[in-house]
Amino acid sequence: MQAKANALSQGFIRCHDCGYLVKTVNQPSSCPRCDSHLHARHPHSLQRTTALLLSSFLLYIPANIFPIMIVNQFGAGEPSTIAGGIVELIDAGMIPIGLLVLVASILVPSSKLIGISLLLLCAHFRWQVNARRWTTMYRVIAFVGRWSMLDIFMISILVDLVNFNGVHIIAGPAATAFAAVVILTMFAAENFDPRLLWDNQQNL
Amino acid sequence: MNITHYDACPECDLLLNPNTASVGEKAHCPRCGLLLSRPRKRSVERTFALSIAGFILFFPANLLPMVGITMMGNANTGVLYSGVVALFNNGMVAVATVVFLASILFPLVHIILSLLISGHLYFNYPNRYLAHWMRWMHHLDEWVMLEVYMLSIIVACVKLMSLAKLEFGWGLYAFIALIVVTTLLTGNLDNNLFWQRIHQLSNRDNNAS
Ligand SMILES: [Zn+2]
Ligand SMILES: [Zn+2]
Repeated sequence: MQAKANALSQGFIRCHDCGYLVKTVNQPSSCPRCDSHLHARHPHSLQRTTALLLSSFLLYIPANIFPIMIVNQFGAGEPSTIAGGIVELIDAGMIPIGLLVLVASILVPSSKLIGISLLLLCAHFRWQVNARRWTTMYRVIAFVGRWSMLDIFMISILVDLVNFNGVHIIAGPAATAFAAVVILTMFAAENFDPRLLWDNQQNL
Repeated sequence: MNITHYDACPECDLLLNPNTASVGEKAHCPRCGLLLSRPRKRSVERTFALSIAGFILFFPANLLPMVGITMMGNANTGVLYSGVVALFNNGMVAVATVVFLASILFPLVHIILSLLISGHLYFNYPNRYLAHWMRWMHHLDEWVMLEVYMLSIIVACVKLMSLAKLEFGWGLYAFIALIVVTTLLTGNLDNNLFWQRIHQLSNRDNNAS
């Protein structure tokens, strides 16, 4: 076995679902172990990721400018955006929780959008980079994505609990947009194939 | 022949010798550093036991009240699913669906699948759907968001603390136990081992018939 060889260049495909290594000589179309479709790299990885990423960018705008939550107090509605909710928490002296929401609802989604864009550019333009570092970045992006659902779950809890005659909370239109951003970026990360970063490196 | 004596890294496609990590060791990819395998002691037995525990805990966690709130003399209690209902009544159908899937349906399906798979492996009972179940479970992994939900409960309670009186119910404790169990479950489920056992079982079944 040649040192540091790509499985694909040696004629092997790793099943994406079960990890079984299959020889490509007789070109099997499905995995002998789990029966799922075999493909050396995620099919249309860059196109799909780009499409999902662009939709997320578009939805990210309404997610941030429209109110995500409206507090109705005795008939008067007080809408708050994602950023507004964080400012309120920090003003009320709840700094650790405010920072937590800041990380989950603003830093994670925005750095995810930028990070996936960079990964796409890197894979598309075949940048010669430290692939190990970029794969780590990909892993971080894939891992933190789900934590942005924090705000959405919190709204569902608040809408449910604060439902009295005088005061009630309702979800705003930004909630739908924000949930869509979180889900689309999760799909985008899932569709990106980090092996493309390694395929493009000429001197490993 | 499709059988090979090699392995490949899922994230950098490096061709590797099959991993020989033993229990308690971790095998990392030498090129990209990915954790390739982490064999666990008695993985099938533990997964089976934890799946049963998780399945039992799922019901109190979903049906018993989690948080009670008293505000200006009015009281209200929240159950796991009542957030979904409230959002739905609010007209936020899409968001309600997402919350329902990530916090109720996917966790339940995930536990049932791991219960079915580990149960079959534990009793060495072949089933032609084992590979399908295993694939579905693998795809669901990321969409089970119980721990994120727990963090949301904490943030919501901190927000409400100064405005209202809060009380915690048995549903919340069951929910915390459910998170502990599912976390242990994912930690103890040895993917490589499970796939090997499923393959062996289906081969044995094919040879027998
Ligand atoms: Zn397979
Ligand atoms: Zn690797």
